[in-house]
Amino acid sequence: MTETLLTAAGDNPREGLRAVRALRELADRLESLQVERARELGWSWQEIADALGVSKQAVHKKHGRRI
Amino acid sequence: MFERFTSDARNAVVEAQIVARQAGSRSIESRHVLVGLAEGGGRAGAALEAVGVDRDAVAARLRAQLSETGLDATALASLGIDLAAVRRRADQVFGEGALDRATMKRRRGHIPFTSDAKKSLELALREAVRAGSSEIHDGHLLLGILRNAGSQAELELSRSLAAAGTDAAALRSAVDHPEAQAS
Repeated sequence: MTETLLTAAGDNPREGLRAVRALRELADRLESLQVERARELGWSWQEIADALGVSKQAVHKKHGRRI
Repeated sequence: MFERFTSDARNAVVEAQIVARQAGSRSIESRHVLVGLAEGGGRAGAALEAVGVDRDAVAARLRAQLSETGLDATALASLGIDLAAVRRRADQVFGEGALDRATMKRRRGHIPFTSDAKKSLELALREAVRAGSSEIHDGHLLLGILRNAGSQAELELSRSLAAAGTDAAALRSAVDHPEAQAS
């Protein structure tokens, strides 16, 4: 893990930025799936926002329209 | 520049946006535009056929390439993340293929062009000027991609031309003189 983290935090910006971008894409998709499921399970927007550590407005703006 | 596009050229750009969305891309690059051109019924598709390029095969190959770029397994592996393992887990919790579907719902709004795609469109303008045309049709878009040397779309297109035993000059001629090819 130490070695792998060197890439994202390492000295080659191109590789590091690519890794960050890939991570963000993966995180976005997982967030989308988790939020959708939480809503289906009856979670309120406030509960989801608290769990994600963001404001209710932010989570609603990002996910509200499509769920 | 877009106001000088013919309806076929506009359709190709709209199609490129749809292709990008289907592939889960955050931006439209010139390969997406090339898929739109190859699958479209305009002058670009006709010119490709005229020089013997299998345009459906080109489009299919590009679509396969582009659909893989949504999640970057190599970059994630460099962080110690096993994408296959994440995908398996996501399948269990959210259903088969959930991770790959997750992106499409999100991309509803405007998808921006990459600088590579913008360059191809600018070069299409130059191709129109070169041909003495006051409007930019989809054949010019195709030649614009071909002029964008070193881009992935250009490489793919050049490879397809070479495989068909033809070249850029023949394609340009087919775009400029569609009637000459009909006979």
